[in-house]
Amino acid sequence: MVKLLSQIAGIDKTVTREILGNVDPISRTVFYVLTVFALCSFVHGLWSRWVLWKQGRRSDASPCSLPLGVIVSRVVGRILLQRRVRRQRKAAGRAHVLLFAGFGILFIGTILIAIEHYSAAAIGRSPLDPIFHKGLYFVIYEFVLDTAGLALLAGCLWFFNRRFKSDSSMAHVRSDYVVLGLLVSLVITGYVAEGLRITLEDTPLPGFSYVGLLFAWPLQWWGVTSENAAPIHLTLWWLHVVLALGLIALFPHTRLLHSLAGAINLACSEQTLGVMQPISIEQVEETGLVGAEKFTDFTRWQLLSLDACVSCGRCEELCPADQAGKVLSPRDVVQGLRCVMELGNVPLNNGISNDAAWACTTCHACVETCPLGVDPLEFITDVRRNLVAEGKLKGPPGQALQKMQRSGNPWGLPADERLTWSEGLDVPLVNDVEDFEIVYWVGCAAAYDRRIQKVARAVVQLLQAAKVKFVVLGPEERCTGESARRMGDEFLFQELAANNISTFSKYPIKKIVTHCPHCLNSFKHDYPQFYEEFGGGDDFHFEAVHHTQFLSELLAAGRLAIPENAQGGNAVAALLTYHDPCYLARVNGITESPRELIQLTLPEESVVELSRCGENTACCGAGGGRMWFDDEAVERTGSGRVDEVIESAAKTLAVACPFCLTMMNDGLAAREAAVEVRDVAELLLEALGTAS
Amino acid sequence: MKILVTCKRVPDTDQKIHVKEDGGGIDDSNLAYVLNPFDAIAVEEALRIREEYQTNDEIQIVAVGVGVADYESELRTALAMGADRAILVESTAIMDPWTVANTIAAVVARESPDLVLMGKQAVDDDANQTGQFLAALLQWPQATFASNIRFGGLGLQVARETDQGIEEIEVPLPAVVTADLRLNEPRYASLPSILKARKKEIEIIAHADLQVDADPKLEVLSMKSEISQRSCVMLDNVNSLIEIIRP
Repeated sequence: MVKLLSQIAGIDKTVTREILGNVDPISRTVFYVLTVFALCSFVHGLWSRWVLWKQGRRSDASPCSLPLGVIVSRVVGRILLQRRVRRQRKAAGRAHVLLFAGFGILFIGTILIAIEHYSAAAIGRSPLDPIFHKGLYFVIYEFVLDTAGLALLAGCLWFFNRRFKSDSSMAHVRSDYVVLGLLVSLVITGYVAEGLRITLEDTPLPGFSYVGLLFAWPLQWWGVTSENAAPIHLTLWWLHVVLALGLIALFPHTRLLHSLAGAINLACSEQTLGVMQPISIEQVEETGLVGAEKFTDFTRWQLLSLDACVSCGRCEELCPADQAGKVLSPRDVVQGLRCVMELGNVPLNNGISNDAAWACTTCHACVETCPLGVDPLEFITDVRRNLVAEGKLKGPPGQALQKMQRSGNPWGLPADERLTWSEGLDVPLVNDVEDFEIVYWVGCAAAYDRRIQKVARAVVQLLQAAKVKFVVLGPEERCTGESARRMGDEFLFQELAANNISTFSKYPIKKIVTHCPHCLNSFKHDYPQFYEEFGGGDDFHFEAVHHTQFLSELLAAGRLAIPENAQGGNAVAALLTYHDPCYLARVNGITESPRELIQLTLPEESVVELSRCGENTACCGAGGGRMWFDDEAVERTGSGRVDEVIESAAKTLAVACPFCLTMMNDGLAAREAAVEVRDVAELLLEALGTAS
Repeated sequence: MKILVTCKRVPDTDQKIHVKEDGGGIDDSNLAYVLNPFDAIAVEEALRIREEYQTNDEIQIVAVGVGVADYESELRTALAMGADRAILVESTAIMDPWTVANTIAAVVARESPDLVLMGKQAVDDDANQTGQFLAALLQWPQATFASNIRFGGLGLQVARETDQGIEEIEVPLPAVVTADLRLNEPRYASLPSILKARKKEIEIIAHADLQVDADPKLEVLSMKSEISQRSCVMLDNVNSLIEIIRP
């Protein structure tokens, strides 16, 4: 090391090599002309994609309005550090990092060489007197670029190997081999040409161009000398140039396009999990359009993101609907829509069938995992919006929407029965109490479903034990509209939201504790979009938390105390596992609160984690309105999750969402598994020993 | 081709219905109404036929309601689902299946449809008579309780749900067909489709203008709520259940 540094320190400041040395004027001219052609093909290719993207709708929320800081941090984290690429599929992720880094450095190196060459020529300097490509810079440059070539080579070979070995799930096309082949031969010819150049020119300090030197030795052993190397070098140089220009020309026509479309998408796309873009009735009256009927009804940014997709299939790997054998694969949705965009004049359902659109549980696994920031879910909900508006939704889910509209809950039960669950519990109504701390938002499931009612009773008893001044809205509470919105019925959602917001604005509400993670997400991400429109007022604001969050706040504040012996209550406690709800864990990042509560009720060794847990949870199958599709229990999207619970050998499954409770209960019962499904609040109340 | 579909306005099936204290009918204050679910199935079937069979010969779907002006909202539902136009025969008179059938027969005479699709019954009075009366008045063949309809054979091939099983019959057109529950699943009419349907026409005809000469053959004398004798108790365990059912 010391030796190396001293060598660097002692480097002659003029050490360099001649750019385009040994390349005769005719070859140079031909090279320049070919470069122009290659660049024309590149620009034309990009232009033709731009023409496709431009057919999309202008989006209301321009991603260009993102603060510069956000864009910079995204460029660094998502693109340069490849964070999203490295998350899933560790090995392929590393190979991609090698390829990306190698390609990127060689690309920058080539640009630098071009700058040096043209500016030196412009000011008339001799080829051996460069502006900056000399001395220490030159030495580092040679070393870094040689190393980058190795990285690129390693990445390419790994991907080659993967393609040869893999099954059809890779969904690669022939042009992928062309791209990898081009890159590999580009690197090899580059090294050989470098080796020949070292031999030919006797380049100083060849040790820094160490890979090129490695290629030079066998060539010299075969009898290549500085006298006879010139024609061979020129041949290799040409080969390298043709390959490089070919790559540039083909760039926008292959999957390499993802590096541009993907980079733009990663840096600029508006993407917060759980947020949907609103549409207004004025918009609909103006355009006569709801959602997406043709590909041009998607926004330009959405169309651009179609070109970001490399069909890697990480989304498909995680998609619960795909795992359950439904017709939906997020990858197929994106690739299918990309085909529709290319073909132009074909109906949208050639890319995404109606059944596929309805199969989605909006669990967000695909959105969260996509290394290129593509949002398959937004395409799906846009299509759903159109299907609903065009009367293509039939049967039980349509009836559920109808009941939400008529009765304010998906079961169509009377509003004045919204409090029957609380019988005998002394639950105060909002208009009976002047001063209250929180509103407990019960939600339709806990209000009407007999099993979930017990959970609401548990929550209320815990609130009472902690002496929390809480109220409920009772008959004034209406369905949040969350599942209506995710099913594509935007205007039913807005109707319900308007109703609830006007109810909220009548009372001094500071904090709402929701029973259901779906209501929570809606209050956090859907409702604020409409405060202004639906008369919430300027300073209208409330905090929404989930019941597990609030209970853990109470424990932290010492308002609720679990007896010391609670954990030992069952000397040999049976195994328990916890299923994270998508909308609590993945979409809103709440994974700790429920676990804190569970740990209070059981000795640590009694709790096992499912293999997919926390933010990587797997869907129960009820989200996105799937709750209202009457699938047989074993055919439901969450059946894989049920298997996972059975495999965990847990005897109790803790949940924190009414939908999850219903789905897991049904699924486990259908398999005759002796697993008890209980809400975290129920476990906590039991540990408190005051269950009634 | 023209299909006429009847649409009745009935109390929302999710609501609790209360009989007036004097027994003179049901208490309709604060009562929400919907399109009779069987009629919704009939509308859906007309739409399905149009989607499946429409060629150059356009298939027109006309929704017909007989009753008070408020019927318009149920006809709007049919229009939002996809019916082309609607006719409301306005009348405030209390009607029985016979007078309704006579009224619809008069509409049929004006419209001369090729097919009349109806719900097999309305879920308010569950009479299940209007379709049969109408076929008799028109002297058309009838296929009631249809669970499948196809064009073919004599005209229509219809699967009927009977107590003995599925009966396959053929009827020539024009005909009256009434829809059973399993015929199809009606589509959901969302707000945008209701908005779009605002542009469609509802023709209002005064009942008197049709000159229907029919008096009700049925008179409701009184109504009373059926008092449920059953009670529901939640039990904690199997033992307490044994205690109760043990003789």
